Amino acid sequence: MTTTSAVSAPSTPVINRPNPVSVGTIVWLGSEVMFFAGLFAVFFTLHSTSPELFASQSAKLNIVFSGINTAILVLSSVTAQMGVRAAEAMQPRRTGGVFNLARWGTVEWFFLSFFLGATFVVGQIYEYGVLVSEHVGLSSDSFGSVFYFATGFHGLHVTGGLIAFLLVIGRIFAVKNFTHKEATSAIVVSYYWHFVDVVWIALFLAVYILPLAQ
Amino acid sequence: MRTNVNLMVILGVFFWLAAAAYTLWVVIDHSWDWTKIEWVGTVAMALSGILAFFLAFYLSRVHKAQGGELPQDVLTADIDDDDPEIGHFSPWSWWPFVLGAALALVFLGLAVGPWISFIGGPLALIAIVGWNYEYYRNNFAR
Repeated sequence: MTTTSAVSAPSTPVINRPNPVSVGTIVWLGSEVMFFAGLFAVFFTLHSTSPELFASQSAKLNIVFSGINTAILVLSSVTAQMGVRAAEAMQPRRTGGVFNLARWGTVEWFFLSFFLGATFVVGQIYEYGVLVSEHVGLSSDSFGSVFYFATGFHGLHVTGGLIAFLLVIGRIFAVKNFTHKEATSAIVVSYYWHFVDVVWIALFLAVYILPLAQ
Repeated sequence: MRTNVNLMVILGVFFWLAAAAYTLWVVIDHSWDWTKIEWVGTVAMALSGILAFFLAFYLSRVHKAQGGELPQDVLTADIDDDDPEIGHFSPWSWWPFVLGAALALVFLGLAVGPWISFIGGPLALIAIVGWNYEYYRNNFAR
């Protein structure tokens, strides 16, 4: 406030407006949706032009492994949301023992989310390695191209989210007093993380589950 | 805000009445043959009604949650009562420039030789960390 008010009380009650950082994040995620929509369009277009190739190459995918990896990513969204609940309760750090989950703060939940997300990325890289050994490469055929293109861009987004988790944890470590600014950072990173999670569920259904139904 | 909600409810009711009237009119025009319903118009108007009711519902929830009337709905309000809390914006910063330059190197590397990307990548990370903690360091530390 740079001006001095002549009256002690404002003439209107304080209005809870949407947080501009949250609104901006959601608008940006809207553009991210369109980016992945493009990748899905590529996938379904190539799928329809060479169905036999996609059927034979999809058979090489390990559904059990990727299913467990999917569960890990979904679980990381749950732990990220627990971190947000702690942030909204203004509890940045744990107030109990290390294994007392009920008293965990945002930092502990976000470290766990980071660990789960990193496990997902490592699993993804292992899966890539196995597929390359089975002659599914980025330039081997149209299935390989769109598979690595779509899941790879998703993996890059997960990696970006991991960095974002660390930045939020660093911000909480950097301040003596946890304020709404830090809580807002935690909340918008969770928005992004949930978005990336939902994109993966859609990718998993399209790339892994759809061939089983055909 | 209450007026906005009422406008949307009126619009929703109008669309549903229009959908009913349109459906009935088509049926009457085909001498009461109920198999001749023109579905495109009927469905479009019915869904338009649902869209309007959705907006009315959303606005009514926002109205309830905001804890008071907006200044533009209060006759005694002043112009500056509507000034929102816009948060913190940096007056100036070098970090966006550093990030842009680093990403330019990354994409230049993709075009002419990956080794340039390996230089640009760490620079981009440094820029992101620098930008993120610009107001958490030195005399901004709290």
